Amino acid sequence: MVLEATMICIDNSEWMRNGDYSPSRFQAQADAVNLLCGAKTQSNPENTVGILTMAGKQVRVLTTPTSDLGKILSCMHGLEVGGEMNLSAGIQVAQLALKHRQNKNQKQRIIVFAGSPVQYDKTMLETIGKKLKKNNVSLDIVDFGEDEEGKLEKLDALFASVNSNESSHIIHIPPGGAAISTALMSTPVFTGDGEGGSGFAAAAAAGGGNFDFGVDPNLDPELALALRVSMEEERARQEAAAKRAADEAAREEKGEPSNSQDATMVGKAAEAINNASEPMDEVNALLQQAIALSMENSGSDPSVHDSEMAEATNEDQDLAMALQISIQEAAKDSSSQSDMSKVLEDPSFMPSVLASLPGVDLNDPSVKELLASLQGQSEQSKQKKEDNPPSDGK
Amino acid sequence: MACLHDHSCEDHDCSSNWSLYKHIDLPKVSALNEAVPGSAKSVFKPWEHRLNSSEEHLESNEGDPELLVYIPFTSDVKIKSIAIIGGTDGTSPSKMRAFINRDGIDFSDAQNMQAVQEWDLVENLNGLLEFQTRYAKFQSVASITLHFPDNFGGDTSQIHYIGFKGEATQLKRDVVATIVYELMPNPSDHKTKAESGGGFSQVE
Repeated sequence: MVLEATMICIDNSEWMRNGDYSPSRFQAQADAVNLLCGAKTQSNPENTVGILTMAGKQVRVLTTPTSDLGKILSCMHGLEVGGEMNLSAGIQVAQLALKHRQNKNQKQRIIVFAGSPVQYDKTMLETIGKKLKKNNVSLDIVDFGEDEEGKLEKLDALFASVNSNESSHIIHIPPGGAAISTALMSTPVFTGDGEGGSGFAAAAAAGGGNFDFGVDPNLDPELALALRVSMEEERARQEAAAKRAADEAAREEKGEPSNSQDATMVGKAAEAINNASEPMDEVNALLQQAIALSMENSGSDPSVHDSEMAEATNEDQDLAMALQISIQEAAKDSSSQSDMSKVLEDPSFMPSVLASLPGVDLNDPSVKELLASLQGQSEQSKQKKEDNPPSDGK
Repeated sequence: MACLHDHSCEDHDCSSNWSLYKHIDLPKVSALNEAVPGSAKSVFKPWEHRLNSSEEHLESNEGDPELLVYIPFTSDVKIKSIAIIGGTDGTSPSKMRAFINRDGIDFSDAQNMQAVQEWDLVENLNGLLEFQTRYAKFQSVASITLHFPDNFGGDTSQIHYIGFKGEATQLKRDVVATIVYELMPNPSDHKTKAESGGGFSQVE
C-alpha cells in the first residue's frame, strides 16, 4: 500500500496501428493502462494517477495526477494515433507533472509504454535516467511492439541508470501471446514491488492462473462445478469414442464379415453398453441394451448378431446379478414386513410391551379397551384370510 | 576535548549546547542523491559520538557530489550555529546553502531559489569548527533543508556528522502535519488491544 503519484506515458505514434497485438497495439495498450489505473487507485485510496501522450505535435498532458478513476478513463477516449514518439520529452514532462503534485508525501513513479523505435541515443537516455534517480523518481518501462535494432540496449541502459534499490522495473512483452494487460498483471508493475500485491491485481492474476477453469470456486461455485462436469463429460465421450475405434479394429481382426454400416451400429451399441457398465442407472442401461438389440435386428449378419449377444450378455451379467440381488432384497423386505405385522397381532406380545412402558397401567380401563380392540382386529383379519382361500377355491 | 571558546570544559558540559539533536524528527529526515537510501539518518548523533566514523555515513552517488538533506524538527527551534564533519580525500562538501521551513525541495528548486544563508565550508574532520548563522533569520525553524552543491574534488561527497546548536522552543509550527483520512475502512488500522494481545478489548 505505497502512497504513490504515478504518471503514465502513452505511446500514440503511427507504429501503434499495427495488429500484432489484438485488436491493435494501441487498443491493447489502452486496456493495459485502464487496468493499471484501477490497480493503482485500489491499492491505496490516496494514490493519484496522471496520463500524458508522447507522440504527435507535442507531448500532451491529458490529466495531472488525480485519484478520480472516472476522469482518467474518460480521457482515454478519442485518442488519435499519429506522429512519432518523443521519449525524452515525455519523461521530462512527466517528471515536472510529478514535481507539482499536491501531496508531497507521495512517492513519484513514471510508467512508460515504449512501443515504437527510440530515436535518442544511449548517453542522452542515461543522463535522463540519472536525473530521475537523483530526484528519487522510480521508472517502469514496458517494452512492446516494434523491435528495432538497438532499442533493447537503449531501454536497458535507461533502466540501469534509473534503478536504485529495485524500485524500478523493465518489462518486455513479445507480440502474439498474451495480451499486454494479462502479461503485465503478474509483474511488479501491477503488484507493486512485491509487497504481496494489491487485492485487485492479485485476484485478477489468481483468477486467471491458479484455478482450472479461470473461475474461482469460492467466488462462483456453480459455474466452476458446471465447467468441471462438462469437462468430464467431454472426456468420457472422447474415451468412449476411442474405445469404439479400438473395438472396431478388434472386430476386424477377428475376421467377421460385416458391412461398415453394421459395424458402426454395433459399435454404437457397444459404446452404449460400455456407458452402461459405468455407474449409471439400471433403467438407463436396460434401455440402452434394448436399443442395441433392436438395432442389431436391422443388421443382416447372424454371426455378428450372435457375437454381439454374447458380448451383451457378458457385460449384462453384472447387471443381471445386480437385478437379482435387488429382487431378493425386496422379497426379504416384504417377508420381514409380514413378520412385523404378525408380531403386532400376537395377543400376548402387545400387553407385555405396553407393560414395559412407564406410566402405563395394565389395569387402566382405557388401556384394556385398546388391547381388546387390537386383538379383535387381528382376529378379524385372520377370519378374512380363512374366508378368502375357500372363496378362491370355489 | 577543547572547545573553541576560551574556557576549559570542566565547568560545563559542551554537549548540552548541541542539544538540538534531541529535537530532530529523525524518522522524517530524508535526503536526495544518496547512494544508500536511508543513510541520511545516520549523520545525526549526539555531540559525543560525532567522531564515531565506524557506522554508516551519508554518501552521494558516484560522480555526482550534490547532496540535499531535509531535516524536520519536532518543535520550532532557534539555530545558532551548524557543525559539519565531511569525509577525507576531497569528499568534504565545500559549500552549504540553507532553506528554512520548506519541504519537497528538489535539486532544480534548490539551484534556482535564493537560500536563506550560504557558507563556504572548510575541511573539518573533528567537528570543532562551527558555522554561525544570522540568528535573526533562524528564529522559528520547523524544518531546514541543507544543499551541498559541490565538494573539494572527490568523486563523491561524504558527510559523517551534522550538528545544530541553539535553543528549542516548545512551540510547534503546524499541529496537523499530514491528514490521512480513511476513504475506505481498513481493519488493520484499528487494532484493538485484544488483537494485539492483552488487556480488555477496547476500540480506540
